Amino acid sequence: MQQPIDVVEMFKQAALEVDNRRLPELKAETQISTLGMDSVAVMELVSYFEEKLSVRIPDEELSRIKTVKDLRDAIQRLLPDRAFAA
Amino acid sequence: MNGVVAALNACEGLHQRGFTFVGGKGPGEDLVVSFHQLRLLARQRAAHYLSLGLRRGDRVALVIPEGEHFIPAFLGALWIGLIPVPLYPPLSLGKLDAFMEALVTILNVARPRALVTSARVGKVLWSAVGQIPSIEKVITSEELQAKPAGALPEAADFKEEEIAFLQFTSGSTALPKGVVVTHGSLAANCKAIVVDGLRADPQRDVGVSWLPLYHDMGLIGLVLAPVLFGISIVYLPTLSFIKNATSWMEAIHKHKGTMSFAPNFAYALVTKRARPEQIARWDLSQMRVFGCGAEPINPETMRNFVRAFAPAGVKPESLLPCYGMAEATLAISFVGLDEPLRTDRIDADRYHSDKKAAPAPGGALEVVNCGRTFPGHALSIQDEDGRLLPDRNVGEICFQGPSVAAGYWENPEATRAAGMGTPGGWLRTGDLGYLVDGELHISGRLKDILIVNGRNYYPQRLEWVVDEIASVRKGSAVVFTRPGAASEEIVVAAETREADLAALKAQIVARISEEFSLAVADVALLPPGALPKTSSGKLQRRKTRDQYLKGALGKEGRGGNARLAVAKHFALSLVGRAQHGALVFFKRLGGA
Repeated sequence: MQQPIDVVEMFKQAALEVDNRRLPELKAETQISTLGMDSVAVMELVSYFEEKLSVRIPDEELSRIKTVKDLRDAIQRLLPDRAFAA
Repeated sequence: MNGVVAALNACEGLHQRGFTFVGGKGPGEDLVVSFHQLRLLARQRAAHYLSLGLRRGDRVALVIPEGEHFIPAFLGALWIGLIPVPLYPPLSLGKLDAFMEALVTILNVARPRALVTSARVGKVLWSAVGQIPSIEKVITSEELQAKPAGALPEAADFKEEEIAFLQFTSGSTALPKGVVVTHGSLAANCKAIVVDGLRADPQRDVGVSWLPLYHDMGLIGLVLAPVLFGISIVYLPTLSFIKNATSWMEAIHKHKGTMSFAPNFAYALVTKRARPEQIARWDLSQMRVFGCGAEPINPETMRNFVRAFAPAGVKPESLLPCYGMAEATLAISFVGLDEPLRTDRIDADRYHSDKKAAPAPGGALEVVNCGRTFPGHALSIQDEDGRLLPDRNVGEICFQGPSVAAGYWENPEATRAAGMGTPGGWLRTGDLGYLVDGELHISGRLKDILIVNGRNYYPQRLEWVVDEIASVRKGSAVVFTRPGAASEEIVVAAETREADLAALKAQIVARISEEFSLAVADVALLPPGALPKTSSGKLQRRKTRDQYLKGALGKEGRGGNARLAVAKHFALSLVGRAQHGALVFFKRLGGA
């Protein structure tokens, strides 16, 4: 049985690895654009999820992703059989 | 001189060379299009455009993310004299609203009759189309791939002064300016780049590019110039590079690339991301040219890149600093081939006080040598009144020759102000620099533009957003850049009476990030009256920046905290951070 995917925790880890940024307060509702990361770092962060989970978020969906929850929803659509942490 | 369309027309039968699109057939599968096929694909698109009623001189907006669809759509428009208006697709995270606003503003200036986009992006763009009255048709790049009915059109003939396409500079502004590239300026600049600058040999050279195709360096340097001279190019999607910077070097290794171009930030990013075992595996020894342009060049970034990639065979002389801008069609100057990175060390005090670049071995400022201009073109340094300045005097960089674009689209005032539109006139670049024996050194910027990761932003737009925050004193926000290791970094200065400075800083960082996807490196908050103003009370952006870089901003302001912050800024600028557009370095540690 696979562990549920915790997108918020993964996001914190990705921000640390990609941008050396600690985000202890991060929540599913957090607007990604308010974190102060530049657009290159944000795309590297998306790539972190894609590699870890072996998915590819369609390019044109990216412009609609605003919150961590939006990112989780986009990944959930690609992995309908996996469990996700609330 | 032969233009791009005539050159493409002459590609019939050229099967050996062409364009390769990494992943163009699906993950891991490259699409190869020979120049012979490319000519056919362009003619098919042209036939579709004609059957839809589009005619010579009509503008066509292109918002197509995939290179394998964008390039034939662009060339097909050129083929029959339509005027393509390439625009960036909405590919950054959560930025749809800002993207749409910029798209509508630009296209209502360009007034295209048609918009070509991919079916998937088209779904996103629909709501914007209704706000652009000139658009009669939305065509998908998929529809253009169908075999057209009827005969394929012959290539149009062009006079040199005829418009080839419009290049809107990146970044959003209230009144966007579209640079008018003519068939003549395009051919002249492509020749300067390929023949004079690169001495490229179609039999031997292979270019590798992840640059966006809607942007001058990617579009002219790595699509149109290669078409004109039949040079093979390998394209990597921009997003693939941004998501994983090492894919750039992987493509060079795999396709035995000999030339590539990128902004400074890309060299910093790939140096940071490449792992030693990857570098050990790659063979990059056939690379003749690692061109660096589109934003200020940080010599430390370039040295670090060569050092890190030396085990893969990267040679110091492969670095090719270059300088250019859309108003010059693209390129203005190149460093000579086979020359390593050269910099000029000058005296900082004389630079700031007398505008002189006095050589000082071990001097405080290090300025990158950006080489010479091309045959048939000229460079000069001029003062505010247009007088020519001698060597090692700092002034505005001016450029003359057949590469200078015709002007800004339907904007005679801006065209005249920039020195375009008159044969033999000097283009005023808005950049500051000096010449030494014909070699250009760029040391600063006169125009108010922020350049981050190769994109231009207007400081006013950022300042408006900061000014809207309730606790910021109205009209007090000043935004400028300081040099950073990878690219320029955004600094915000503003006046406030707010007690909770940390919260206000966080709010400013968040607002700029939301609106522009830009990271703010520093926020300097000062009490009312602390920012430098003219006698009429207007904020002085350049003076604010100068004071900030010298650590003198708001010195007479608030007590301990402000001073500590200022000291920290200064310390940062001392530790290997470049001043004046990342070209110039402080070395005197502890000189505060």
